[in-house]
Amino acid sequence: MKQVEEKEEASVYQRVVLKDASPYHYLKVRLVLEDESTRLSAVELKHFIITGLKTLFGEVGAALNFDVLKYDEDTLTALLRVYSRGLVTLWSSLTLLGSYQNKACAFRVLQVSPFLLALTGNSRDLQLD
Amino acid sequence: MLPTHDLDQTPRTLLVSESSSFLDPKNRVSAQVEQLRFNHQVSVLLPECSSAPSHLDSVLNSFSSFYLIRKLPVYELLDRHFLEAAVYHGAVYGLSYRTRIDEDNSIALTPNGHLTLSLDKDSFELLGFEGKPSRFNHRTATRFVVSVDLTDSSMAPGGRGYLRLLTGLTSRLQLQTDFLLSHHPGSGASLQSLLSRYDWSEHRPEVSCRVLSDLSCPALRSCDPHSLLEWLGAVDAGCHKIPSCHRSPVPTRRRRFVTVLTHLCSLSCRCYLEQPRLESWVSMTVHGFVDSPVSWGDREHGFLRGGENFYTLMMFHDHTYQLHLATGAHDACPP
Repeated sequence: MKQVEEKEEASVYQRVVLKDASPYHYLKVRLVLEDESTRLSAVELKHFIITGLKTLFGEVGAALNFDVLKYDEDTLTALLRVYSRGLVTLWSSLTLLGSYQNKACAFRVLQVSPFLLALTGNSRDLQLD
Repeated sequence: MLPTHDLDQTPRTLLVSESSSFLDPKNRVSAQVEQLRFNHQVSVLLPECSSAPSHLDSVLNSFSSFYLIRKLPVYELLDRHFLEAAVYHGAVYGLSYRTRIDEDNSIALTPNGHLTLSLDKDSFELLGFEGKPSRFNHRTATRFVVSVDLTDSSMAPGGRGYLRLLTGLTSRLQLQTDFLLSHHPGSGASLQSLLSRYDWSEHRPEVSCRVLSDLSCPALRSCDPHSLLEWLGAVDAGCHKIPSCHRSPVPTRRRRFVTVLTHLCSLSCRCYLEQPRLESWVSMTVHGFVDSPVSWGDREHGFLRGGENFYTLMMFHDHTYQLHLATGAHDACPP
């Protein structure tokens, strides 16, 4: 859904208000595994998330397009991008994904935003001690 | 299984994009960006240079330090001497440190003398002062906002409103929090009496610099705002996948702050642009605190899923600019 209000006085000045127009939502997630020495590659992570989508939502859910924009193998932290209308689908399947290769695991969703730029600065991580 | 139209519901997002010229006398960039008062990070992206220009460096290093006061009782912000020395002159501003706006009690003091307390239901009822239910309540009112103008005559020391709030904070609700306090340059002395009574530490903003090479850059002027912000976010986060056009070496500088005088920053970026070079643009992104009780003026801010409130200023060689102001669900529209 998108509403656009425009004020154009001269050729120079323009103001546009975009409501609910962000095509994507971005999630910063971390995978916490029971066996902390296990490592996954980016491809394995994506496959794992698709498996989770399929378990919860079936073939139609597994067809949801999402991207792994950045992945850090050491901390198992990833930046995911998904279409806005698929956010709830993806997020709920991450929440309910409980085991990887028969060992317990959990996805921690650290930050969610319609702007990728907002994910680069989180004041909740600010440590001044 | 839920019907798909329920799954399609995503929270409201709001992005205001303005384009104009610095040479236009009616441009209100300064007035607009000053309304985002509590900022914790500034990122500047400079194309085609391997090190930051010296005048930008000197501006970034000239920002005053800020203080972290441990376990500050909130009634100290109503102290008569503190009000007369600092608050009435508009010299100080502060925010509670590591309090979550959706879980804890948060306090903000803006430069214009407004004290905002965002309290949960029990704390609000204990305090016994006028307040309004938060705009971000879900079904029942669990959060309330007390907003007080300390410069108003009704809150003058000794007045009824002042005494009621002071009694509430000293005897009924002994609110205590770690507090980040900052001041305008030259006003540091006004804080000394407050600092001398509590455990405090001084901090300076830290600067980090990264040089990125072989970076692809889209057509910035004609790009739609969401794609532009996605590209800037991808550059800042160091993503592998960035939408591409052509290549140029692009350094970035990043800085963490309590508040930032962006006017000085943007002026020095404009000076940099006046020198001839191939790529003539500079981008500056300022991130606000996600847990600040106020955002964009003195209007209430909420966290909900992201709490984002930031703006990006893209400046071009010919004195034109694009200002993108973003905020999260249910916040008031940016100016």
